[in-house]
Amino acid sequence: MNFPTQDFAALAPVGILSGGALILLLSEVFLASTRRGYQASLTVLFSILAAVAAAGGGSPGVIFNGQATVDAFSTFVTVIVCAGLALSALVGAGWLRARQAERGEFYALALFGASGMALLGSATDLLFAFISIEVMSISTYALAAYIRRGKKPAEAAFKYFILGSFSSALLLYGTALVYGAAGSTLFAEIGRAQGPLLVVGLGLVAVGLSFKVAAVPFHVWTPDVYEGAPTPVTAFMAAGVKTAAFAVLTRLALVAFQATPASAANSFAWVLAALALVSMLFGNWLALTQRSVKRMLAYSSIAHAGYLLVGVVAAAAAGAREAALSSILFYLASYTATVVGAFAVVAVLERRGRSLDEEPADAWDLERFAGLGRKRPGLAFAMAVFMVSLAGVPPTAGFIGKLLVFQAAISAHAYGLAVVGMLTSALGAYYYLRVVVYMYMRPAEDREIGLISPAIQVALALAVVAVIVLGVGPETVSKLARAAAAIGM
Amino acid sequence: MVPSSYYLALAAILFSIGLFGVVSKRNILIVFMCIELMLNAANLTFLAFARQSGNMAGHAIAFFVIAVAAAEAAVGLAIVIAIYRTRGTLHMDEVRVLRD
Amino acid sequence: MTPLQVYFPLALVVIVSAILAFLLVGLTNLLGPRRPSAVKSGVFECGSDPVGDAHGGFGVKFYVVALLFIVFDIEAVFIYPWAVLLKELGWVGFADMALFAFTLVIGLIYVWKKGALDWE
Repeated sequence: MNFPTQDFAALAPVGILSGGALILLLSEVFLASTRRGYQASLTVLFSILAAVAAAGGGSPGVIFNGQATVDAFSTFVTVIVCAGLALSALVGAGWLRARQAERGEFYALALFGASGMALLGSATDLLFAFISIEVMSISTYALAAYIRRGKKPAEAAFKYFILGSFSSALLLYGTALVYGAAGSTLFAEIGRAQGPLLVVGLGLVAVGLSFKVAAVPFHVWTPDVYEGAPTPVTAFMAAGVKTAAFAVLTRLALVAFQATPASAANSFAWVLAALALVSMLFGNWLALTQRSVKRMLAYSSIAHAGYLLVGVVAAAAAGAREAALSSILFYLASYTATVVGAFAVVAVLERRGRSLDEEPADAWDLERFAGLGRKRPGLAFAMAVFMVSLAGVPPTAGFIGKLLVFQAAISAHAYGLAVVGMLTSALGAYYYLRVVVYMYMRPAEDREIGLISPAIQVALALAVVAVIVLGVGPETVSKLARAAAAIGM
Repeated sequence: MVPSSYYLALAAILFSIGLFGVVSKRNILIVFMCIELMLNAANLTFLAFARQSGNMAGHAIAFFVIAVAAAEAAVGLAIVIAIYRTRGTLHMDEVRVLRD
Repeated sequence: MTPLQVYFPLALVVIVSAILAFLLVGLTNLLGPRRPSAVKSGVFECGSDPVGDAHGGFGVKFYVVALLFIVFDIEAVFIYPWAVLLKELGWVGFADMALFAFTLVIGLIYVWKKGALDWE
């Protein structure tokens, strides 16, 4: 047997991420007496290395007997995940230092989670996908419970864990049924199978993944978990977990569309379209009434899952497939930059109790943003950019992302979805721009300006630049996304 | 020899019991056990299909599922302990600081 | 033989023991005299009065050890099949298992240095 050098070389980014996690674990026990400032820099370094390894090295191809595929799509996903990881780690460094809670385990868990996400981007086998999902999820469960003070983090972690492992169990049972129908869990083999067992199995897998991407009606955990988890972890979840889960959902949807008979594929597309519709409607609707900005962003992430699902539905139509896939990738890139930035601002302004255990009810209230434009013009500008981008107003990344997704939907003849998407985006603009109004048109209640650290400043600057560059000159990235849309199945 | 369909039916029943338990039970540990039950029902399904078709992949998958379930149980138990420490109870209805 | 025939004796045992159990418990409940007194409901003969609550918690150390045991015990699931097929898998299999064991060893070092293995 020849040594599968190519298989391991193709997994270099994952190796770098998990190797980095091990190094950080050891640094915590062997070097913990010294200052911990290097740990965040090390995490950023590893994520950059992994992104470079993904972009530069490794010839594309099928590895591990078809269980995974390294192609431009997986490379693009890996780079987005690494960017999300690096930005979240910077936010985490500032946030945790202010609470004297910085430990190597935080970064190690984030790196492990990111390695699962990177694996998920290249998964072309249901078992491989299941294991990657678990690597990602188990790390994020632990991260959500990372802060041991107060009631909220443990509760958020618990809800995330119960619903996350519940959805994993559904996904696994679906995988078992698919295995029974197809005799294999490889996507390529599933594509050749048929029968009701296959349809039921794929349906259960789809439900499991819908939980992970937080699509309505499988979204109930999202607001509570996003609110209760430490803010940098929330940013990482919103960016990384969503990207990775959509990557595998997209690949799987393509298989299901091609594999199952036309009638089943059609109903599959209808189900996805329904999920997209209710996610857009309810996500935006529920976000409208939120006073807490952190909770508002949680509901808005449900709405964004809806927009992304529109892209997945559009990919069902053979004519629009390439445009739809590239729009999903571009949307994921722009959403990652925007949402991590928005949560970074939330992390800065978060109100803390007098004692460490206290959890003020108004920690993330809109009032915290009042008068920010005068108190901290730079921070207010950054938040304004992120809000405008989430609302989908030019010239930002969010606008281009929505434009591409809705264009793809129109060329796939999914006019209804495109129209609902545009209308709900207009609805969404109300609550995003309300934050901007508070920042620039309301007088400040106090002189409090939040806790900002150099690490968070760097993260904010990078995110703002990314959002504006993707919005003003999207050609480079959208070209890359188009190239990545040619999925090698 | 017991036909594979019996195993499949048993697995489906176990899965349904687990599903029902997760939705209806109010004790955190019971919910936790129900999730384990669902994972193991899936495992049994893999094995039954593997035996039915003489395909070894199902057996290998079962090993991976066992390992993943153990890792999940470890983290899950740690989270349950954290809940118990902050509230002194394992009743679901006490876990409700976060809500609209 | 069909499965039903194979399991028929077993089913018989289950049914008979169930009937017997219900019969015995039911009859004693129905027919037995009931005359409670202070002596009867007290602690039995040489038993001593119970101390504390039967639902008391266990030390958290047990939990940590059990948790670590689960995680490290599972490695056997992978090592046994690998050991059986060692010759066929060759150096590729060896490298895979070395990577797996290496990761576990790092975890063990972390747990050890963190003090999770110290009982006191």
